[in-house]
Amino acid sequence: MDTDPDIELAGVTHRFGDRTVLHDLDLTIERGEIFGFLGHNGAGKTTTVNILTTLITPTAGSARVCGFDVVSQRADVTRRIGYLPAEVRLYDHLTALENLEFFGRLSGVDNPRRAAQETLDYLGCTELGPRRMAGFSTGMRQRIGIAQAVLHKPQVLFLDEPTAGLDPVGVRQLRETVLRLNADLGMTVFMNTHLLSEVAKVCTTIGVLNAGELIYKDSLEQTLLRFPDESSLEDIYVRMEQVPS
Amino acid sequence: MSSGRVLALARHEYRAAWRSRILLTLVAILAATTFVSVLTAALDYRGQLADYQAYVQAATADGVTRIPPSPLALLSLLRGAMEYVEILGAVIALALGYLTISRERANGTLPLLRSRPVTPGEQAAGSALGALAVLSTLVASTAVVAVLCLGVIGRDWPSSGQGVQLLLAYLAAVVYMGVFYALGVVATARSRVATTGLMVALGVWLLVVLIIPQIGDTLDADNQVPGGLFAALGLDRNGETAVLAHFSGYEHVRNWIEEASVSKHFERFAFAMTDVKDKYRGFTLGQLLTEKRNDIGWLAFYATALGTALWRSFRRVPPTPQGGTA
Repeated sequence: MDTDPDIELAGVTHRFGDRTVLHDLDLTIERGEIFGFLGHNGAGKTTTVNILTTLITPTAGSARVCGFDVVSQRADVTRRIGYLPAEVRLYDHLTALENLEFFGRLSGVDNPRRAAQETLDYLGCTELGPRRMAGFSTGMRQRIGIAQAVLHKPQVLFLDEPTAGLDPVGVRQLRETVLRLNADLGMTVFMNTHLLSEVAKVCTTIGVLNAGELIYKDSLEQTLLRFPDESSLEDIYVRMEQVPS
Repeated sequence: MSSGRVLALARHEYRAAWRSRILLTLVAILAATTFVSVLTAALDYRGQLADYQAYVQAATADGVTRIPPSPLALLSLLRGAMEYVEILGAVIALALGYLTISRERANGTLPLLRSRPVTPGEQAAGSALGALAVLSTLVASTAVVAVLCLGVIGRDWPSSGQGVQLLLAYLAAVVYMGVFYALGVVATARSRVATTGLMVALGVWLLVVLIIPQIGDTLDADNQVPGGLFAALGLDRNGETAVLAHFSGYEHVRNWIEEASVSKHFERFAFAMTDVKDKYRGFTLGQLLTEKRNDIGWLAFYATALGTALWRSFRRVPPTPQGGTA
């Protein structure tokens, strides 16, 4: 059995001009984990995801996904990942099914149309398939966004603020979807989020990023044991930021 | 490079292009101007052809044995169509190139594309292939309309030899427009604001398509008098050559200015293929290609240079805003 971690960041630093947004970040996420990456706006969460999804090259350090280097083995990485950006942007002039078919082709899926239909069925949104994306609500877009991210059955799924703009029903659907993908397909999930309540319900491990530095990482179970006096995860989060581990 | 991904991107580009109102408007203008141009030329040609046929009939009835061949050149009726491709076709291609980049930027879909196993090379190849398919469809449509006008209105259909010449002229049109497509992509991709890139590309278009050829034409001694200076002086081709030999330096510079424009190379090739220039009438295809090898070479050079720049530009397009959200 392959026991290599699915995500490994070693000494990753990233700068935009003279602004450093990630400082010497070390992070390991094992296969099958659902990792919740917490942090304030501007903490560097999206930059981390952008590096891991090969969208940007780190200024220093190395990052590996599924055992492949994100810079020198980009194609191997992108074949194994699914990505849902913070704001789901797809082609409005196409139907949901056509969008999925297009992204399926780019991912090298054998029968993109069938895969697209099966994914919609799996996610319980078959009725959205023949409709053009132009009139879709945020929740609908999010569901099709997830469908495009998992259509090719990736090993690792990256979700960047997936609950942003969703109503409570949408948040719940998303949570159920993430848990199902993890249980059915063994997908490792890396989720950037602000919603602590969702982390508590979905994630197996959490990490906290503060001003580009990882100040905490442990399993949810250990975290709750470690901070027994706090009444909620939110309190724990506040303490983590105050007292780095 | 995966052919499946390249074809998927090409098909996507093709479909998206035809959904653009800007592009459809420009295409409609090109189609309308081409149609009107060829239609009016064909109507005039029909009258001239009827006159010539009447003359042949009368001469035959009078027992004349040596009847001069028709002075009419059917393909030359496409002069306007070629000029519209040269000017408007280039704008359409520029707009297409601009839309290729600005569409993905505006949609915000680049991050999703780049998070797939798609290389910048595949993206460049897919987009270029899709754009060439759009341009080929456009050129083929105008060619069909033009030939139908010649046959139905002008009552004279091109021979198979003329058909091949026409095919080569329109093939050159696709290559020529492809150069401007690449220019549109390069200028837009290298600008932070897409419309700035479009403005730069239109500036280059103005220079290359209108200003440089105009300078060349203005400096041409034969263009100084309506009907031609040498014709007014009663000089034939040999006389013209003898006179111009005294101004070889001047002619060299004038020619160099004209040759700096890709439009002039397309125009020279297309006009030779469509019998617009008298001096090439009666040439065989082999002779025409030999005579125009310089223009073919320059067109190939521009296509290669801009194609390379296009490929490099796709490597530069950042999938996420640099310096944006952390």
